[in-house]
Amino acid sequence: MPAERELRGPARVVLAVGVSIAFAAGVLALFSQDLGSALSQFFLEPFSNRYFLGNYLADAVPLMIAGLGVLIAFRSKNFNLGGEGQLYASALAAGVLALRLPAGTDPLALWFWAALAGALTGAAIGALSGLLKAFWRVSEMISSFLVSAIIINVSDFFITGPLQDPASNFQTTRQIAPQFLLPRILAPSKLDISIGLALALILVFMVVARRTRIGFELKICGENEEFARYCGIPVAAYQVAAMAISGGLYGLAGALLVVGPQGRVMRGFSTGLGWSAISVALLAQGSEAGVVPAALFIAFLGTGSDHVMIGSGVPSEIISILQAVAMLFITARALPRLRRRRS
Amino acid sequence: MSDTATVLVDILKYTIVAATPLLFASIGGLFSELAGMLNIALEGLMGIGAFFGMAAAGLTGNIFIGVLAAIASSVAGSLLMGAVTIKFKANLFIAGLAINLLAGGITTVLSQWWYHTKAVVAFALPSPLPAFPAALARIPFVGPILFSHSALTVSAWLWAVGAAFIIRNSRHGIRIQATGMNAQAVSALGYSPDRARMAALVWSGIGSGLGGFALGLSISAFVPNIVSGRGWIALVAIYLGRKKPLWIAASCLLFAFAESLSNYIQGFSSIPPLLVLALPYAVTLVSLIAAGNKK
Repeated sequence: MPAERELRGPARVVLAVGVSIAFAAGVLALFSQDLGSALSQFFLEPFSNRYFLGNYLADAVPLMIAGLGVLIAFRSKNFNLGGEGQLYASALAAGVLALRLPAGTDPLALWFWAALAGALTGAAIGALSGLLKAFWRVSEMISSFLVSAIIINVSDFFITGPLQDPASNFQTTRQIAPQFLLPRILAPSKLDISIGLALALILVFMVVARRTRIGFELKICGENEEFARYCGIPVAAYQVAAMAISGGLYGLAGALLVVGPQGRVMRGFSTGLGWSAISVALLAQGSEAGVVPAALFIAFLGTGSDHVMIGSGVPSEIISILQAVAMLFITARALPRLRRRRS
Repeated sequence: MSDTATVLVDILKYTIVAATPLLFASIGGLFSELAGMLNIALEGLMGIGAFFGMAAAGLTGNIFIGVLAAIASSVAGSLLMGAVTIKFKANLFIAGLAINLLAGGITTVLSQWWYHTKAVVAFALPSPLPAFPAALARIPFVGPILFSHSALTVSAWLWAVGAAFIIRNSRHGIRIQATGMNAQAVSALGYSPDRARMAALVWSGIGSGLGGFALGLSISAFVPNIVSGRGWIALVAIYLGRKKPLWIAASCLLFAFAESLSNYIQGFSSIPPLLVLALPYAVTLVSLIAAGNKK
């Protein structure tokens, strides 16, 4: 009899969600003066009116898109840890484009080009780490992290230097003209139509994964690389593609934030989103459809943390702790038995 | 001394200072690497060590207690990682990411709670113990570069020499290496690969804790994101050094030189500082590629 119980996917999700919520309550009990109001700020306030609800859903949109990308990369056993930089640089590329296009441009065309610019920027950065892995056997985790660190500094330079809005006291680019921002739904919240695109993308990736050869071969690459090579699947190409897709979706998420809720690129644009998308992909447990509830859950932890910071002064960085707890539980594959029975 | 010589002395002296955290962490990470585990949590463990080490040193006014607290807290983090990956069969990389996130969260939240700021917390500490007599430091040129350093900086080099010895000559070190090469064989000989892995993680916890504390001590302060990628740079040093302590130390010196140079250029040139800040990462990335095996 094995000394441990196997933990299946659904059990892990329930455990991760349950424990991180319990942890949230525990952290609030530790740091807040008035636990009752802190709990209600964390758990209830985000749903209490149209404005908060819309903002909460808006926070889930980039997580859905970027989380989907991380999920695809995971499936082929590629870990993209450069999301922060990919999102930031892509947002900047999309932002520059939106600021440079003439005021008479058709908004639809602008959104298309901005989204494309963001996706391509992110894809190129991601693909670089894929190429390094495929042809130089360089760990994609370390290279994507380092590339991201370089890019963050370079983007900071552009935002605070050549692209700085001279009229602003903040370190930010100029504001994008209002007619170029995505139409809002649930006004006055910042939720816009990009949520539809996020859901459509998830659907497309689901179909590609299940119905096409590409989707199938990508999965084989992740399950057994040797076998995939033996079958004649171009593993190197899939490594590059997986990293490019993951980077591209980070980039798309960044671009949509610029022409949507943010309307400009501020210094430190991506803070934390790159890592949160990884939590989303883990919670989704390899299922594209699972990305939606996973993104809603991680966005809920983030929104709740923001609400207690404003309401009770609890630092919003508790979100990192909650996410870490969720990650640790989602990745645990076994529960050791407390007492070992007959061996 | 001419101006150029002064500048050179400064850059080289700071290279040794900047190498200290890298050397501690990468030699610690070498143990887990040899046991077959790429420990991406070095970054977070260094942050934990920096925070708790500085907090304890600030509270007691005693640097030695700071060292102990840094080691204890960072080892606690590595034990958590070990428990999750070995006992609960979690994915090593995801557990490592979780530790990094946890470290960032806990240190920032506690900094807010204890010091009421998420920015710089400065500590007034007794000046660090010098490792060499003051007379040596007065030797022109080599004196300030080599002999002006604290006992902690010198212990980073002793740590590297000690680790090299343990890895090559002790039964403990050889078991850790064997676990990385062939865990089944280790198991067949009646030793536990899991115990070797756990021990290797503890070593990397000790190294990261010391590295983080050295970082805090060098600026007499704690700032969230104080580590800013050095844990990853330390990982690359392990690869660039081909898992050999001596070459790892040389790699750390190279990366530290890039850092020292970038600090100098920021103050004295017209190149925008934010671009210069990217230099150490760029040097590290190029080294990582150089250390890769082209197919």
